Amino acid sequence: MSLADEIAAYLQDSFVERHQPFCICVDDSYRLTDWWGSGAQFGFSDLQRGHDMQTLAPFLIGNLSSEPVILPVVSTPHTGPVEVHILPHGNDHFVLLLSKEDDHAATLVRQQTANEVRLMHAHQQKLIRKQRELIAELIETKAELELRRLEAERANLAKGRFIAMMSHEFRTPLSSIISYADRILEPDCDATSAQESANSISRASRHMHDMVNTVLDDARLEAGRKTLHERPFDLRSLADDLSAIIAPLAAEKALSFAARITAQAPECVNADDGCLRQILLNLLGNAVKFSDSGQVALVIDWAAGQLTCSVTDNGPGIALADQERLFQAFERGEQHESSREGSGLGLAISLKLAEAMRGRLEMDTDVGKGCRMIVSVPAPAVERRSSEDDALSPPDVRLQARSPAVILICDDDQDMRAIHEYYLGRAGYELLMAGDGQTAVDIALAQHPDLVVLDINTPGLNGIEAATLLRRRGFTAPIVALTASDASKLDPELFAVRLRKPLRMPDLLDKLNDLLRSSEVHI
Amino acid sequence: MSAFTAKICIVGDFAVGKTSSIERFVNQQFSEKYLTTIGVKVDTKDVRLNNLNSDLKLVIWDVAGTERFGALEFSYLRGAAGCLLVADGTRARTVHAALHLKKQIEERYGKMPFVFMLNKSDLRSAWDVNEANLTELTAACPDFFETSAKTGKNVERAIEKLAERIAQNELSAQV
Repeated sequence: MSLADEIAAYLQDSFVERHQPFCICVDDSYRLTDWWGSGAQFGFSDLQRGHDMQTLAPFLIGNLSSEPVILPVVSTPHTGPVEVHILPHGNDHFVLLLSKEDDHAATLVRQQTANEVRLMHAHQQKLIRKQRELIAELIETKAELELRRLEAERANLAKGRFIAMMSHEFRTPLSSIISYADRILEPDCDATSAQESANSISRASRHMHDMVNTVLDDARLEAGRKTLHERPFDLRSLADDLSAIIAPLAAEKALSFAARITAQAPECVNADDGCLRQILLNLLGNAVKFSDSGQVALVIDWAAGQLTCSVTDNGPGIALADQERLFQAFERGEQHESSREGSGLGLAISLKLAEAMRGRLEMDTDVGKGCRMIVSVPAPAVERRSSEDDALSPPDVRLQARSPAVILICDDDQDMRAIHEYYLGRAGYELLMAGDGQTAVDIALAQHPDLVVLDINTPGLNGIEAATLLRRRGFTAPIVALTASDASKLDPELFAVRLRKPLRMPDLLDKLNDLLRSSEVHI
Repeated sequence: MSAFTAKICIVGDFAVGKTSSIERFVNQQFSEKYLTTIGVKVDTKDVRLNNLNSDLKLVIWDVAGTERFGALEFSYLRGAAGCLLVADGTRARTVHAALHLKKQIEERYGKMPFVFMLNKSDLRSAWDVNEANLTELTAACPDFFETSAKTGKNVERAIEKLAERIAQNELSAQV
């Protein structure tokens, strides 16, 4: 035996020992035709010729072809890891199985470790990514919080300034009211002095009323509760009304004032005239307030369904840095922080009103040269209102009862009862008075007035409870609510009219007249 | 009633749950322990397809996990009538791997039925597969199932869907 033969024999013995080869022969239908060697270690025991090998060797299925097939590592429920060689032989196939147990264990450990490391790496990468996202989110949140803090500080400062300013604004007319009321109470006060003092009290209280309304308007707009009341109105009447208010104020400061309507503007448009009037009064009021000389002008123009009103003045103008800030509540221009009166709400309210009207408010200004504020809102041209509409609520019939009727007034404030008694009595109504809710209920049920006016905040039985009790006991006449809070929150089923204090007596009379007239119609 | 045998392969990246899904399908068992597969594991399961009035013996080749096939893996796919593609919802890259394997198989063996199993739906909150990935997946593999080898959710449905597709192909070929 040569050395090569020895080595070949050694290799053969070694291969056989390691791989324990086992060979079977199957036909095209996977039936066993022959076998060589021991198949026990591969789960091939009790073999018989003709045996279907699909169950014992499912890897044969689909792999019997005319070409040799080698499957490097195969496991089945019956067989450990084997290397399979399928070799075509005439009409049959030799299937050689070589054990891979030795290699398999080592490969499994190696592959398992590698896969676990890769899984851990993937998990780690995911954690790092998540951590980065969280850090970025944290930085963003911190920046946002800082921004919010600055905004809150700024709002707080602005509100502090507003409170200080409003305190001043309210104290001035309040001092005037107290002083003139005291003057009237003086023993030497004659009729002329009393009349003059009363006029001063009236002016000061209306000014306070306007201030309260301005602050409430801002709150309503802020809460998005502003509703539009669009209706046809005359542009000429609007210009005349504004002129009547602004011209005297301008004249006091020796400013000239002009209001002009362009030729292309229609006589009448459809929009919320109340909102527009408020915007223009704010703008014109500012123009007069901040101008010391020159002219304040209002131009009303119209094109393609869009109404454009511009207010121009020769005042100090507005610095670029202040322009955006001025449209925010309680903000005022730096140069006017303390020198001029005002709430700092006018422009903020005007902007919100313009936006509520689906319009815009813009500013065109040069420092030292003046300012032009332009408000534009959609306002389609409409036919002029009929004279019948114009005749509604003529001023000469105000302060007069439209029909003889009995009205029950319930208010816990003696002065308010007295003023109601005076105006409504003078208008021709017969009055019943109550100082609390329970008394009002008793009187109403006993004397059946045509209308009841209930103050909501009364001691004992409040206005809502009194109205509820009256309805429950079959009282059917209209009930009017008077409240210092938000009247719109009161139940409209319970109250025919819901009015907010303060209310001017002519306005109250108008409402009562209308209500009594409509109840007569229903009757 | 017809009865036939079909070889199917389950392929996908490592540790996506291929072996666990087959273990769930064949033996209704699940183990939390991860054990890698070397080479291929071959198992069988008889499936009854009532709607096709047909019995199918599935020879399931569970191929070791990989991102892409080499000559070795291709040798295991020879003669397959359809494939189960498996990906792990908590690892988005395994979805791309599964789609790449699908492309490789189609290039080598032509069109065949595929069913996509997006596994580990019991860990849905930890998935990093987003809605865009899911849309892409369902466009590429209309037979798409969110599965859980752990709970068994949709595993049987997914594999039976592949069996149904294969049986339909076989029956139309017989006609």
